[in-house]
Amino acid sequence: MDWELLLGVGRFLLATTLLLVLTIPTAFIIIQMELKVIASMNLRLGPNRVGPGGMFQSTIHGFKVLAKEDTIPDQADPSTFTLAPWMVYMAAAMSMLVIPFAPGAIAADFNIGIVYFFAVLGLSVVGLLVAGWASYNKYSLLGGLRSAAQMVSYEIPLTLSIVGAVVLAGTLSFSEIIEWQRQHGWLLIWQPIGLGIFYISSLAEVNRTPFDMVEADSELVAGPFTEYSGMRFGFFFFAEYVALFIMSGILVSLFFGGWLAPWPFPAQLGGFAGTLYGIFWFFLKTYIFVFIAVWLRATLPRVRVDQLMGMAWKVLLPLALVNLFVTAIAVVVFDL
Amino acid sequence: MAFPGLGIAKGMATTFRNFFAPKVTRQYPEQRPEIPDRWRGRLDLIYDPFGEHKCEVCFQCAQVCPVEAIDMSGFDSQGNRIRYGMPEIYDERKDPNAYRRAGLAARPMRNAARWDEEIDTPFVDETVDSFGGRPEALVAIFRAVENRYGYLPERALRRISDRMTIHWAQVFGAAGLGGFRLLPTTGHTITVCDCASCRFTGGDRLLRDIEDELGIRAGESTADGRFTLETRSDIGSGSLSPALRIDTLVYGPLDTDGALHLISERRAAATAHGTAS
Repeated sequence: MDWELLLGVGRFLLATTLLLVLTIPTAFIIIQMELKVIASMNLRLGPNRVGPGGMFQSTIHGFKVLAKEDTIPDQADPSTFTLAPWMVYMAAAMSMLVIPFAPGAIAADFNIGIVYFFAVLGLSVVGLLVAGWASYNKYSLLGGLRSAAQMVSYEIPLTLSIVGAVVLAGTLSFSEIIEWQRQHGWLLIWQPIGLGIFYISSLAEVNRTPFDMVEADSELVAGPFTEYSGMRFGFFFFAEYVALFIMSGILVSLFFGGWLAPWPFPAQLGGFAGTLYGIFWFFLKTYIFVFIAVWLRATLPRVRVDQLMGMAWKVLLPLALVNLFVTAIAVVVFDL
Repeated sequence: MAFPGLGIAKGMATTFRNFFAPKVTRQYPEQRPEIPDRWRGRLDLIYDPFGEHKCEVCFQCAQVCPVEAIDMSGFDSQGNRIRYGMPEIYDERKDPNAYRRAGLAARPMRNAARWDEEIDTPFVDETVDSFGGRPEALVAIFRAVENRYGYLPERALRRISDRMTIHWAQVFGAAGLGGFRLLPTTGHTITVCDCASCRFTGGDRLLRDIEDELGIRAGESTADGRFTLETRSDIGSGSLSPALRIDTLVYGPLDTDGALHLISERRAAATAHGTAS
């Protein structure tokens, strides 16, 4: 029994380490993708000097950030100032624990995975708020409050849009939801409105264009990150891209069948081969959605802050409630 | 019909098309644009924020023009119209024939007299040859020519250019920089240096005294046309300050008495010359 416990702890440690390590190439790949894809859509070539075809541009950016001077403002509170990037980054990294990469490749297959996911991802708001507050700079503080307002507002339709799917599948575990989708077809068909609300809210939740009010590159100073430099800023930056990856992964798991192939999953494929097959499909679908997010960024202008809030409270929240209501009635009436 | 999301879809379609479209970036050092052999860039006269031409008639553009297509006219620092090109360029094109064709009474060309000025060609050639035709001797050649004419006739400059096979723009540029006279003057020109060094050592007082002596202000000529008084800062004789230039000779350091003595010398010489002839 003790051995079993030790084995579990060891497996958990290994999985978390792997996930933490995974965040680094993930962020690099998405940043590189953003550089190249947006450049292409702007009819530019984009970075093409570092490595073959410029493929190490984002990596070299990462190392550059690592080598930069790390400054802390005089009046800032050093302990919270240094804690904030860690909180934001860990919120993203910890929520990766429940992402179902493939059958058997989930770091922790909780039966309340969805609740855990939204609870932990929501912690990044605290990190941003702390970052803004600890910087001792009114622009940082306002930026932090702005981001908190945005993320708290969008967390509500984001979470509510899932509830329909959860009611339908009757489970809060990611692997069970995917199993349900294998039997009944992807939730995309069952919950199209939920999908739309989830996608819009998730863009706002991870501060992607057209909802990147937190750090509106071309208009504002960097919001709560204003006073940060070097790798502390790098952590915020990383966390943003990791969060994009996670959100795309969750979207895929909940609405697009997760690790399932578009055609029936070959049952004879079990064990390690099945895991690899699942990982392939999961990453393919996830990166398609990452690409769509980048594509959106190349296309859409930023919304105004009042439009942003109005959208969350006046459109998405009522729509999510109606969706939930209709789904609940349908479940009862048709006994799904 | 307005359909929510249609605009977004259109935009997405545009960016997606662009994603596969050929890119416009030119990898400059490796890929260079194909420039036609005869391409010389755009010729343009630009304006400063006050609406004035930025062109200072410095002739640098004419100097680099391989086919000598550029020539120009402008105003010198004293407001005299100067033109160092062929008469038939730009607005100078309104030559007598053009007036006649237009049925108007023919008018003489502006500045035509300068084009017709007579020079002593053998003298200029000799001067150039005596310096061996070396370009670094340009200033000395100018000085010799200026001593003869009191200014640098344009035709003499042309002759120097031809004789030394130096680009005309270079010859004119050197003449314009060295404080030489490019226009004929009557009488003597007294130039009081107003550079900082000369003013500190009493140049102001010197100028005031000379003005009192001649009865004119700087920039004016005496009624009989014998003396013209001016101030310039390009005499370039800081070690002689306060310095004074009469025609082409620089004197200094001078006090008031010395300056007045020089002026009276010139006056006496002119009178003597006048009586002799």
